[in-house]
Amino acid sequence: MSVTFWVWFGIAIYIALGLVIAVMARRQLGAGVSEFFLANRKLGGFVASLTYSATTYSAFMMIGLAGLTYLSGVGALGFELTYLCGMFMMVFFLPRYWLAGKKYGYVSPMELLSDRYQSKWVGATAAILALVFLVPYAAVQLMGVGYLMSGVSQGVIPVVAGIIIAVLCAIAWSNIAGMRSVAWTDAFQALIMIATSAAVLGVVVAALGGFGSFFSRLESATPGLLTVPTAKGAFSLNMFIGLALPWLFFLISNPQVSQRLFIPKSVTAMKQMLGGFLIFGFIYTLISVLWGLSATLLVPGLENADLATPSLLTLPIIPMGLAIIVMIGITAAAISTIDSILLTLSSVWARDIHKGLINPRVSEKRELRVGQWVIPIMSIIAFVFAWWAAGKTGLAFMIAPLSAAASAGLLMAVPTIFGAFFWKRATAPGAIISCVVGAVVVLLFQLTGWKPLGWWPGTWGFIVCVILFVGVSLATKPPKKKAEEFIGYLKEKLAEGRFI
Amino acid sequence: MSKTAWAWTWFGFLLALDIAIPWFVLTHVEKMSGAFLFWTIWVAAAIISAFIIFLRWKEVKR
Repeated sequence: MSVTFWVWFGIAIYIALGLVIAVMARRQLGAGVSEFFLANRKLGGFVASLTYSATTYSAFMMIGLAGLTYLSGVGALGFELTYLCGMFMMVFFLPRYWLAGKKYGYVSPMELLSDRYQSKWVGATAAILALVFLVPYAAVQLMGVGYLMSGVSQGVIPVVAGIIIAVLCAIAWSNIAGMRSVAWTDAFQALIMIATSAAVLGVVVAALGGFGSFFSRLESATPGLLTVPTAKGAFSLNMFIGLALPWLFFLISNPQVSQRLFIPKSVTAMKQMLGGFLIFGFIYTLISVLWGLSATLLVPGLENADLATPSLLTLPIIPMGLAIIVMIGITAAAISTIDSILLTLSSVWARDIHKGLINPRVSEKRELRVGQWVIPIMSIIAFVFAWWAAGKTGLAFMIAPLSAAASAGLLMAVPTIFGAFFWKRATAPGAIISCVVGAVVVLLFQLTGWKPLGWWPGTWGFIVCVILFVGVSLATKPPKKKAEEFIGYLKEKLAEGRFI
Repeated sequence: MSKTAWAWTWFGFLLALDIAIPWFVLTHVEKMSGAFLFWTIWVAAAIISAFIIFLRWKEVKR
């Protein structure tokens, strides 16, 4: 039997298992928007932790981060761990989102903003940011699957076939039972991700003579990659801040993860979700970076660093069966992120654009139907973007920088989110103007490649955004009554739960 | 200073180390015991401090 046969066989088994889990999840599906998009806010800690992990960690890790490590060395570890350090802010935001979600019944993070600022335009603006900037982020997941399947099958399976498989799985798993099917399949996929990546790293490290020998070889063969900036100049401080700043606030800027702050059924489930994720993230990040460093020794000289993982997997030291299982693990990582993005975007469109702006009197049933239609439409848009970007080369079209560029746009909602929870003086005009102008700055700088003072687009956009948010808010009238009531309620409940 | 203010200050301190140590202290250490080890220990400290805070949380009345 050929490699291609076993690749297809592995994919078929993976899809079949995923479908069985999604269909089982559907048996528990109740009626209503909150049920479909949030599993009725009743997820246990274990599943919540795994769906948060699988949604956050994607093809970006074992392909994009590994590729960035291959190209730029240890700075990639600092960049990704800065995200994980940013998760410390969950001690502030997780209880606040969760309490507000329970009290006011928010379905999307944007709905929270609309209500807090007493302006549907605030939520709509944040929703449009998400719709625009999450497309490239979803597309890089598709690219990752395409590169991987093509690489492992040694080019027999074209990149576009991998992209199509990922799109179809994501559409199915997000539509079958909404958050329930996404969360259950995410849990299944998170376990595959961590187990397969750990196993294959173990094989590679063993082939390199164990960790001691691996590290010695790295220090002698590629010492320039073990410091920042690297010998070749990568990971200058400006590059690091440009990449890491959007990542630092990922937990609140990316609605597909912040929406998950509404779903734990209890405080205990919240704690399990956060603790489980932090441990998962720590292990998975180290695996991905060590994997990328091992590629510098075993497959040096690649033109496209995003092909480091597919190239490693085709080496004779890795048994074909394990390579195929790892390929499925990374595919799972990508699809578990895409389906979560699709589900969140569908809820954002249905709740914040359709109900918020177009038809406020829409029935719950119709709202749900509208959301479900958005899933295939957004999938097609992401597919077209992925197909286009997969043919390009250069740093800007690598998976990690593309992902960070997408998050740079989403970063513009961060001052608005901080203001909602911590600043009673924050206003809707401040929120809207800062989001819009900041996003325009980011887009303009990204499209022109302009980096004044060497600072990246997200850095400039964020500075402009913060200044405008504070300045315009101070010059306009805040929704004083709502701000007092919202922040006052949280203050009371935070004290009750010994939150900070 | 309130617990919330302490937590924000600690977080700010961690972020300052994120830049200061790798770029200004370890920039010439081309070994795994340099920036690689620093970032690993640094994030472990962030995770442990998050655990210390959230393990105190208790259920609230609806």
